[in-house]
Amino acid sequence: MKYTRAEKNVLALSCMFAVFLMSEKTVHAMHIMEGYLPLAHCAVWDAVCLPFLAAGLIRIRKTLNQNRRLLILLAMSGAFVFVISSLKIPSVTGSCSHMTGTGLAAILFGPMVAGVLAVIVLIFQALLLAHGGLTTLGANTFSMGIIGPVLTWLLYMAGRKLKMNRKASVFLAAAMGDLLTYCVTSLQLAAAYPDQTGGMAASAVRFLGVFAPTQLPLAVVEGLLTVLIVIGMEQFAEPELREISFLEAK
Amino acid sequence: MVTGFLTVVVVWCLLYGRMPMMILLPLCLGLGAALPLLGRHGSGQFLTIDVLAQTSRLNRVSPLLKFWTVLVLMVLCVSATSPAVGLFLTVLMLILTVCGGGLALHDYIHLLALPLSFLLLGGLALLLEVTAQKTGVLGVPVFGFWLCVSQAAQTRAMLVMGRALGSLSCLYMLSLTTPMSDLIGVLRRIRCPEVLIDLMYLIYRYIFILLSMYHAMRDAAASRLGFVDYRTGMRTTGNLYFGLLFRSYRQASRNFDAMESRCFDSGIRFLEDAGKMKKAHGLASAVLILMTLGLSILFW
Repeated sequence: MKYTRAEKNVLALSCMFAVFLMSEKTVHAMHIMEGYLPLAHCAVWDAVCLPFLAAGLIRIRKTLNQNRRLLILLAMSGAFVFVISSLKIPSVTGSCSHMTGTGLAAILFGPMVAGVLAVIVLIFQALLLAHGGLTTLGANTFSMGIIGPVLTWLLYMAGRKLKMNRKASVFLAAAMGDLLTYCVTSLQLAAAYPDQTGGMAASAVRFLGVFAPTQLPLAVVEGLLTVLIVIGMEQFAEPELREISFLEAK
Repeated sequence: MVTGFLTVVVVWCLLYGRMPMMILLPLCLGLGAALPLLGRHGSGQFLTIDVLAQTSRLNRVSPLLKFWTVLVLMVLCVSATSPAVGLFLTVLMLILTVCGGGLALHDYIHLLALPLSFLLLGGLALLLEVTAQKTGVLGVPVFGFWLCVSQAAQTRAMLVMGRALGSLSCLYMLSLTTPMSDLIGVLRRIRCPEVLIDLMYLIYRYIFILLSMYHAMRDAAASRLGFVDYRTGMRTTGNLYFGLLFRSYRQASRNFDAMESRCFDSGIRFLEDAGKMKKAHGLASAVLILMTLGLSILFW
């Protein structure tokens, strides 16, 4: 098959695009940006998040009544999640990527509290860094702050019940939570913008495909870093961890 | 540079076949060139938006008014059925933030370029369809398949991108003219739970402590070849994050001791000296909302 010159140019251009799609700006890949979802979808995701957040807030208030010191620890953890989710980490594809950090919060505090921290972090990210947005806050909170941490926590608990290797269970929990976050984000986008011919399923496959090259390695990286952090904390910060009841099982 | 190139391609795909070539070509190239030429290259500061918000001329306008106005405008923008509303808001917010707030145009464009590149990629994903035969108004052959742009996809992508651009501009208008502490004050005023407000205040303040701690630790690690290859880089990053969390927890304990020794029992209050509501400002925002509403009804 022979190409004309124009066709060759176009071919080269499209190859460049493929490279861009895979390597450029993964900064925003995890969050759905401002104004990208129709109003009805925004409202639905907001509504879905509300009960979880309410439960989280009630939980926090109850714990704080017993131990006021936790307020500061929680705030520090929230700030920590914000900072690590906006810093670059070395990534396999050569581009920059970011942790979500909510898996760590879920392991330390449980999924409900992680959800509350996540919504605060997302508001700050929208306002201070223009990642995500206010109209898409509900959708992002659901994927990053609720469904991901819930899975992380469930897996972590299961690992503890089954007496799995601690490192392995933390890794698995954090990586799977990250993956689920990315899958849910793709589904949310697909639900809002179904393919004209193939419907929602085809569109979901496409969004999953666009994100896969960056998100799959990222899940592994997130898992590894979470293990490093958790193990380090266990060794050196026991009093604080006991205070947040992470080590109570011991 | 990349964003500029993307702009050219996306605008071309969007408007192809909708206007004469003589207009389309300069429009594409002009928009593409505008971004790299007008943007300012990396001031390197981390939370640029926060710094700019503190120095904005509009930060004396009542944050409550700004918050509600922006929220209503965003809802109008996202529910509009024509990209015209989004474009109108984009231009309006640019004028408001740059002329009203006294922000340099370079800075604004530079800030806009980052989310814009994602918006363009997203737009491209909505525009292009992979089919076996050439369909639609524009088709490009790739390895035996056709990347096509249909008229329906053009309309949809235009709408989505218009909406996103408009509401993004609204968001920027809010965050570039209102310091975060004022915004948290607004949340308190609209009766968000007290625990949430306290947490937000503290988290906002701790972000800066953690960032400066992180930068010091990262520079120390880098100067000892901590990022010399990928493996080492990973381990250093893990250690850095752990060290950050560990030190921040120690810091938190000390902070709490300090607060308790000053009779902290519950609730954290800071002095709020945000601007009061003025009649002229209220009127201006009402006009803004009515104009946007009128436009979205006009183009329904």
